[in-house]
Amino acid sequence: MATSPRKSSTENNINDTELVQAIQVGRIDLYQELVSRYERKLYNFGLRMCRNTSDAEDLVQDTFLNVFKYLKSFRHEAKFKNWLYKIAASICIKKRRQRKYAPEQTLSLADFSSRDETEMAKGPPRWTNIPLDQLLNEELAEMLSDTIHALPEKYRIVAVLRDVEGFTTTETAKILDITPANVKVRLHRARLFLRDKLKDYFEHDHSYPST
Amino acid sequence: MNTTTATHQHDSRCLDLFKKLSEYIDQELDEVTCKQIEQHLENCSPCRACLETLKTTAGLCHRIEEASVPTSLSNRLKKMIFELTY
Repeated sequence: MATSPRKSSTENNINDTELVQAIQVGRIDLYQELVSRYERKLYNFGLRMCRNTSDAEDLVQDTFLNVFKYLKSFRHEAKFKNWLYKIAASICIKKRRQRKYAPEQTLSLADFSSRDETEMAKGPPRWTNIPLDQLLNEELAEMLSDTIHALPEKYRIVAVLRDVEGFTTTETAKILDITPANVKVRLHRARLFLRDKLKDYFEHDHSYPST
Repeated sequence: MNTTTATHQHDSRCLDLFKKLSEYIDQELDEVTCKQIEQHLENCSPCRACLETLKTTAGLCHRIEEASVPTSLSNRLKKMIFELTY
């Protein structure tokens, strides 16, 4: 695995805003530090959004190339991290548009609600009572990652930004240039989609720790 | 509506709540709506099940471990930075 070069105390002690401002006034030697701070986060964002490691690597490189190109014009109106993800998200969306056009599936709320009506009558299933850290083993993590990939892209990007990366609704809306209401709708449907796969997983003989 | 038996049928209140469950989990609803939802949940086992499964789903997503940066990417980025900055 890659290791970071030794950092000076200045690099360690400054926050993103100060670091970006320093680069903007000419300290381009600090760009490596900016990349080091976010390469892992962005690579994992890429892994969730793309279907393979090679595309995820391309996404990271393209994002940092664009960040370097446009950093001078960054006005600090948003957090640097949010601006970075806005660039990464727009690259993802652009790449999808460049691929052969296939209409995206829309997730309907009615499908989920009718299924719940018949399956949830007995109350919360046992797996919801198990602490999350005990529940999430390697197999489940892999299944969840595969299921995130199976989400249509417009839902996947919202679920990744909100539930994996931890951005707020408002931040996600700004990153994607959509309304907060739209973020909420897409997130709810994405969660229902993922939840249904989890229900199937636990109902089909997958063992999980007892409470 | 307020039945907890296996014959439960979603009525309009259940469906209205169903649409708002993620916002409820994310604490994005006003106090009045939250209270209405909590009152409904006290007596509606299927809606409680829906809430708990959704909460667990969101919580699991947040806990997926991050992969390390592969050496191939790290090398590509170093080369890119060198070319950009020297």
